[in-house]
Amino acid sequence: MHAEPASFDTRALLTNARAGDRVAFASLVRLHQSSVYSIGYRMLGRRDAAEDLAQDVFLQLYRKLDSIETLEHLGFWLRRVAANLAIDRLRSSAWSTPSLHDDVPEPAAPESDDDPLMTRALAGLLGELAPAARAVMVLRYQEDRDVAEIAHALEMPVNTVKSHIKRSLTALRGKMIGARLVTAEDMP
Amino acid sequence: MNEDIENRLRAALRRMDPPEGFAERLLAALPEQDLPARVAALRAARPVARPAVAPSRWQRLAAPAALAASLVMAVYLGQQIGAQRYANEQRAGLEASRELMQALRVTSKKLDVAYEAMRDHNPPPANADSEETRT
Repeated sequence: MHAEPASFDTRALLTNARAGDRVAFASLVRLHQSSVYSIGYRMLGRRDAAEDLAQDVFLQLYRKLDSIETLEHLGFWLRRVAANLAIDRLRSSAWSTPSLHDDVPEPAAPESDDDPLMTRALAGLLGELAPAARAVMVLRYQEDRDVAEIAHALEMPVNTVKSHIKRSLTALRGKMIGARLVTAEDMP
Repeated sequence: MNEDIENRLRAALRRMDPPEGFAERLLAALPEQDLPARVAALRAARPVARPAVAPSRWQRLAAPAALAASLVMAVYLGQQIGAQRYANEQRAGLEASRELMQALRVTSKKLDVAYEAMRDHNPPPANADSEETRT
C-alpha cells in the first residue's frame, strides 16, 4: 500500500489546517494531490475533468476539515470522496465518454522498465469498464488498497468488490489478447 | 495469469501529478468567509442544546400572541399620540391666530391714536379739502 504521510510535521499540518492555516492546508493538498488527481484521471480519462474533480474534492475537504480525525482518516476520506464523485460524474447524463484517455501524452511517471505502449493501452482498456468496477480497480491497483477498505469506501459488500476485481481482470486479459497486446500464451 | 496482469496494472496505474500550480489555483478558489477555524469557533460558542421537550399548544401560541398584541398596542398608541399631537398643533395655531388678530387690533388702535394726535397737532388748512379735491 502507498504509505500515508504520518510524521509529526504532517500531523501538525492537519492540526494547523483545522485551525484555519491556509499554508498548512496547501501542504496537505500537495501531499495528497497526486492520489486524488490520479483517481480522477483514471476514472474520467481526461486531464481537465480530473483537475476539476480534484479541486472539488479538496474544496469539500476544506469545508469538512473539522470532521477529519487523523491522517489515515484524511487519506481514506479523500479516496472515498474522489472515487464516488467520479462514479457520479460518469453516471450523469451530461457526461461524455472520452475516446481513450486523452490524446495527450501521459504526464511524467517514475521511470520504469515497463513497456510504455502496454502501460498506456492497459490504462485505456480500464476506461472501458463500468464506473463501479473501474473505481474498484483504481483503488486496488493504483492506490493499493485492500478489499475491505475498498468495500467501505465504495459502500459495497466485500464479495462484490472481489467479484468486480475477478471479472475485471478476466475482461482486461480478454481485451489485451483481443487487441493483440499479448498472446494467449503470454497470459495462459 | 492474474498475477501477471495485476503487475502490469500496477505499473500502468502509477500515480501522477496534477498540472503545475494546482495547489495555488485551489488556494485561490478557497472561500474567504468559510475558514474552518471560524466555523469551529462559532460552533464552540453556540449555547448548549436544550433537551428536546415538545412545547404545549399554549407555549407554542404564546410568542405569536404576544407579538400580535404588541403590534396592536403599538399601532393604537401611535394613533393616540398622532391625534394628540394634531389637536395640540391645532390649538397652538388658533392661539397664534388669536394673538395675531389681537396684535393687529392693538396696532390699529395705536395708529388711530397717532393719527388723531398728528391731526390735532397740525390741523389741515381750511381750504385743504377743496384743493385736494381739485388735484
